[in-house]
Amino acid sequence: MKHPPYQLRTNKAIDRFMFVEAIRYLVRPTDEGRFTYYALGGPYLEDFRLMHESFPKMHLVSLEQDPETYKQQKFHLPCRGIRLLPLDFRSFLARYDSRDRKSLFWLDYTGLEYSEVEDFKSLLEKVAAGSVVKVTLRAEPSDFLEEKKANEFKAKFAAILPSSNVTVPHDSEDLAGLLQDMMRIAAQQQLSATGVIYQPISSFCYKDGVGIFTLTGIVCPKSEVERVRDLFSIWRFANLDWAKPKRIDVPFLSTKERLHLQRHLPCAHDAGSKLHKVLKYSIDVDREASLAKMAQYADFYSYFPYFMKAIP
Amino acid sequence: MSDQKPIQYVDVNASPVKSFFVSMLTRDIELEDAILDLLDNCVDGALRSKQASNGEKPYSGFEAEIDFKKDSFLISDNCGGIPWSLHDYAFKMGRPSSHPADTPWTVGVYGIGMKRAIFKMGKDCLISTRNGDHDYDVHITPDWIDNEDEWQIPVKASVRPKKKDGTEILVGTLYPSIADRFGDEAQSFKSELERRIATHYAFIIDKGFQVKINGDSVKPRTPHLIFNEKAGGKKAPKIQPFIFRTRTDDDVEVFLAVGFTRPIPSPEEIADEQEEKKYSTVDAGWTVVCNDRAVVYCNRDELTGWGEAGIPRYHNQFIAISGVVEFKAKDASKLPTTTTKRGIDASSRLYLQIKNKMRDGLRIFTDYTNKWKGRADESRRHIEAGTPLSFEEIKLRADHLPFSSTRTSVPKGDQYKPELPFPVKLESRKKRISFVKDIAEVRLVAGYLFKDVSADPSLVGEKCFDLIYREAKK
Repeated sequence: MKHPPYQLRTNKAIDRFMFVEAIRYLVRPTDEGRFTYYALGGPYLEDFRLMHESFPKMHLVSLEQDPETYKQQKFHLPCRGIRLLPLDFRSFLARYDSRDRKSLFWLDYTGLEYSEVEDFKSLLEKVAAGSVVKVTLRAEPSDFLEEKKANEFKAKFAAILPSSNVTVPHDSEDLAGLLQDMMRIAAQQQLSATGVIYQPISSFCYKDGVGIFTLTGIVCPKSEVERVRDLFSIWRFANLDWAKPKRIDVPFLSTKERLHLQRHLPCAHDAGSKLHKVLKYSIDVDREASLAKMAQYADFYSYFPYFMKAIP
Repeated sequence: MSDQKPIQYVDVNASPVKSFFVSMLTRDIELEDAILDLLDNCVDGALRSKQASNGEKPYSGFEAEIDFKKDSFLISDNCGGIPWSLHDYAFKMGRPSSHPADTPWTVGVYGIGMKRAIFKMGKDCLISTRNGDHDYDVHITPDWIDNEDEWQIPVKASVRPKKKDGTEILVGTLYPSIADRFGDEAQSFKSELERRIATHYAFIIDKGFQVKINGDSVKPRTPHLIFNEKAGGKKAPKIQPFIFRTRTDDDVEVFLAVGFTRPIPSPEEIADEQEEKKYSTVDAGWTVVCNDRAVVYCNRDELTGWGEAGIPRYHNQFIAISGVVEFKAKDASKLPTTTTKRGIDASSRLYLQIKNKMRDGLRIFTDYTNKWKGRADESRRHIEAGTPLSFEEIKLRADHLPFSSTRTSVPKGDQYKPELPFPVKLESRKKRISFVKDIAEVRLVAGYLFKDVSADPSLVGEKCFDLIYREAKK
């Protein structure tokens, strides 16, 4: 199976760090061993490497249905102790029994299908209270430029659309916003009558080639919601009220540029124009775009990976 | 302003109208279900008589007989009769709040079933009952029905004293449509009534109750789930049902089991059933039982979790999957049933929570079916190695199974999740190809490829693909 070079996707890399950061607010170091991380790790198990480095005592379980990718995973194992299950997610769900143990799930999809929403819904009703579920979906507006495709989208997702006369947005942030509304409805449908809700923690949209939307939330009893919100109240990337997904759109900068800019960071206000002045030139098509990119850099610079030529 | 006098209003009369009970309420229920309401009263009577024990056959010795003809309907039972102390409630339209506490585990809630059933069928009814020293008749006449102002019904000592405690309800002056069902359409009506009793009362009949229709005993239809205890030792994967049990804060006991009733069908069997219906009924799907009554029988749609939240829609390939969920409550109003007691209140909080577990169990068996559908023969060996057990037998076995507790997700309870056999080898993703060709052409190709014109068409198609695939790879 052919996979894109996930490890070189800058915005995705930041998304991974964001997830780790969210988990840090939730999981105390002494509790790491009580959580299990389940994900569709892909051939390089990049997120598993990161989770292991950040939470060494956490249990890690990867799910993979493609036999060749499974072999690749075995080859790329970043550490001992990762359980590689040769299962598709549906089969896994059929066998999964939380036994009241908290889990962290990342349903990292590259497409946008209703069956993926159903996976998300099914999972919500199966996890133990206090578990985190992150879902990532394709949010590419160009997929729906043709009216036929837009209508197909509406027919597929009719059960969770916020309104029957919704128009499929042509802007990627708006499309991510629509997907977020849909996932909110899906979660409410699933957890209705259970006394449990899906409380969002963060949501982002970004583009590494194609548009992506990602939503992280915690499944918790209604009585616990305030406590959970308090935990994340000081995190500046938290999205606790279903606000618009935050955009991740960091600029391509040379190492020299980054080191130069970093001397001026963090800065509390108007980071975009301050950094723009530091560089004294535009890094995008115009000044406005350049300021926006600089602001993004200021937001995410500490999560921004370095890609360098290396001799192994 | 005008000089007109203010309008004087008077109190409005909101008293009930008899014709509402007689001709409107009866439209909400089918004839068969109305008769099942009468049977419910028989079973409630058996429970009230306190002779019903708690053993495996608590209803043993109790029976109800239904006899219908073109001009009359009779149901008689030996289930204890209507105690004279309840006469004020038994014959009232609807149940007053002052009604004494019900006998535990009964299903009557609304106090309308018997009256509605009578009014559904005809205009003349004699209810004759004996309970201990009391042996009395209640006669509802056409005059009484037509008189809007008369609400008192005369009660007299029985003309024909009965030998045993029990009740007889004889309905005459049948409405023409009812007389047709009992007369010209008697065979089909009997068959349908028998089917409904065999399903809705399956669990009660299984526990010893006897029902006869025009002299013929009704046989229960209960699903039996495959249970394999021995294969490969305690921890080896084997075919067993998924079980969940709990007791809610409201004191409703819930026990559910879902599993296989038979081997999964082969692709040929699925294709055949799709082209031509082989079975008029199938026992696949969910049966929901409330205080021993099956209120939903072999349901295969969203009501019971099929086709929602990641569970595939029901399809012939899932013909082997069946489940039973039982709700038991001393107070019947806690049960998630509709007012007709022949359906589930799908919006009930309790039912929605339990449905999560129903889906949880269902998922195990739909996944197994999908994983093994290309290897039905191999799967047949797993399933045929087990024994089919009744719901009651599964309950008994459950006491010896290692349950795990769920306390932080909803619903709370204990579950037994079997580990089913799983294909060892991970397979590449596959796509099914199917197409239809003229029989003569298929036979010709079969003869060419296999020297056998009657070779299995699926093998012929597969061989054709393999040949072209080899060509394409060159």
